[in-house]
Amino acid sequence: MRVLVVEDEVDLADAIARGLRREGYAVDVAYDGDEAVDKAGVNDYDVVCLDLNLPKLDGIEVVRRIRADDVGQPTRVLMLTARDSTRDRITGLDEGADDYLVKPFDFDELKARLRALLRRDAGRSGAVLRVGDIELDSSRHDARRGGHPLPLTPKEFALLRYFMSRPGQVLSQEELLEHVWDENADPFTNTVRVTVMTLRRKLADAGDGQPIETVVGRGYRLREP
Amino acid sequence: MNPPGWLIDRLPEWARSIRFRYTLLYSAVLFGLAAVVVAAIYLVLVMSLRNEPVSSGIRGKVCDFRQVPAHCFPIDLFTARELERNVNAETVTKLRNYSFGALGILFVASLGVGWAVAGRVLRPIGRITAVARDIQATDLSRRIELPGPEDELKQLADTFDAMLARLDAAFAAQRQFTADASHELRNPLAIIRTNVDVALADPNADPDDLRNTIVVVKRASDRMARLVDDLLALARRQEPRFEHEPVDLGAAVAEASDDFVVPAAARNIVLDRTIVPGVTVSGDRDALKRAVANLLENAVRLAPARSRIRLASGSEGDRAWIAVADEGPGIAAEDQPHVFDRFWRADKARSRADGGTGLGLAIVRQIAESHGGQVRLQSKPGVGSSFVIWLPVAATSAAELPPRPPDPAPAAPVATPADRARPSLGQPPR
Repeated sequence: MRVLVVEDEVDLADAIARGLRREGYAVDVAYDGDEAVDKAGVNDYDVVCLDLNLPKLDGIEVVRRIRADDVGQPTRVLMLTARDSTRDRITGLDEGADDYLVKPFDFDELKARLRALLRRDAGRSGAVLRVGDIELDSSRHDARRGGHPLPLTPKEFALLRYFMSRPGQVLSQEELLEHVWDENADPFTNTVRVTVMTLRRKLADAGDGQPIETVVGRGYRLREP
Repeated sequence: MNPPGWLIDRLPEWARSIRFRYTLLYSAVLFGLAAVVVAAIYLVLVMSLRNEPVSSGIRGKVCDFRQVPAHCFPIDLFTARELERNVNAETVTKLRNYSFGALGILFVASLGVGWAVAGRVLRPIGRITAVARDIQATDLSRRIELPGPEDELKQLADTFDAMLARLDAAFAAQRQFTADASHELRNPLAIIRTNVDVALADPNADPDDLRNTIVVVKRASDRMARLVDDLLALARRQEPRFEHEPVDLGAAVAEASDDFVVPAAARNIVLDRTIVPGVTVSGDRDALKRAVANLLENAVRLAPARSRIRLASGSEGDRAWIAVADEGPGIAAEDQPHVFDRFWRADKARSRADGGTGLGLAIVRQIAESHGGQVRLQSKPGVGSSFVIWLPVAATSAAELPPRPPDPAPAAPVATPADRARPSLGQPPR
């Protein structure tokens, strides 16, 4: 899951990015409105955490431009605001934000709201994903196969979560790079292939059969039972 | 029309109104006047007509001889004078009776008329009261808007409306201030909280990470502390009372600028001071020093290294001035009207990182205005900015102050900043 954090307070933006990366999100940071619109135009983010009060381009305007560019899966927008007046929240939601959080916020709440936004796309209501005998609880950062815990790194966890949110779909290396890695990943390395390989080995160690199959020339697919 | 309080308190509810008292008064005065007039007419009439009872006159007999035997009966015979007297007595009696009757009717009628007139006159007051009662502190947007001619009551209602408008503006400004302040305080608070949350959530955080978090938290809390100081300074200035004492402007400016010599030197900035001694203003010495310090702080923070900041003070006519000119980035023309607004920043990110709270110039303006003065700005992007504070000179002349020791560091006599600032900034405000 790829997240763009837009926040002009550098110390806040960096802390959010650090915390979310540890949760396995691929996080990019933009420190002003222009940068946010540029990055949202280049990359396909699943969620944008957006401060309303931004230099250069106001947060509301950023939401409008992101919405105007939306093709296919809509980008979810979580508005962060230091203004707690009802009018400001209504404006933000009306302009296309999906949810809001008033600063200062509890970081656990930010994570929970992000998970809730991502669930909306998958049309599920719980934090626990289940495909076959694989279970993934993103709120507790816990993945199991057939009841056995999987010792996954954050990146592997994020990769498995992405597979499990799109079971049966063929996912190309480019798409995985786009949604699971942030902009600091080098697209010319075989990082995706290596991570998929280690994930498959850990899945195979915990149960019978290999749930992630290679579709030659197109990518990978998580088999639906 | 002002009966004593104890009397009013004893009256029943319905009798306490102005309308009732006005009616009574009106009626009583009218009745009294009418009674005096009637009494006067009566007296004059009585005096001009002798009102004596008529004694029996000569008795005679009248007989009707057409009947047989003749029928006779006795009658009183009056002289013409007696007849006149008799008529007079009758008239006066009638006049008295009618007068009493008319006075009674007049009294009742005057009560009715008085009640109606008082009601009509007092009706706008009822409207004013009703609106005033409706208006709560939260809804100061309503107005009485009394229709009708420009009379005393309309003036009262208009005065009330004007007062409401001022209150409304004051409340709105206060709300805006609170909203702005909470917004500004939430950001550093969010930085602290998120950094702490993220650090605590990581069981394997190494000492370097924790140290970085602590540095960030310290930076944010320093910013909050400065912000709280500035907010308090602004709030205190809004109180109507503050110290008014004769202040030696030159000494105050020199003292305030002493704190900036070292920071300016650290950035290779030359701080030129040209202070004309012997100028006295009336006001709050600490506040004036703070205004100078805020201007210098901005200048030192924004000016490029190896540039020059010029500080000067003096007087012109009955106005004293303090000028601070820098060779910093300057302020774009469209931004100039906003620089004295609270929390306004030319470049948010940079200013915050440099430790600016966005309140410095707002405080300067407030200090200048609370001293009956003004602050003016002239700026050109890329060239620099000059700020000039104009203040009224104290009524007490400088001569009453003890003689000031000679300036320890006499500044260059040529081309003071004020010399350059003055012509372009025009005449002191009157």
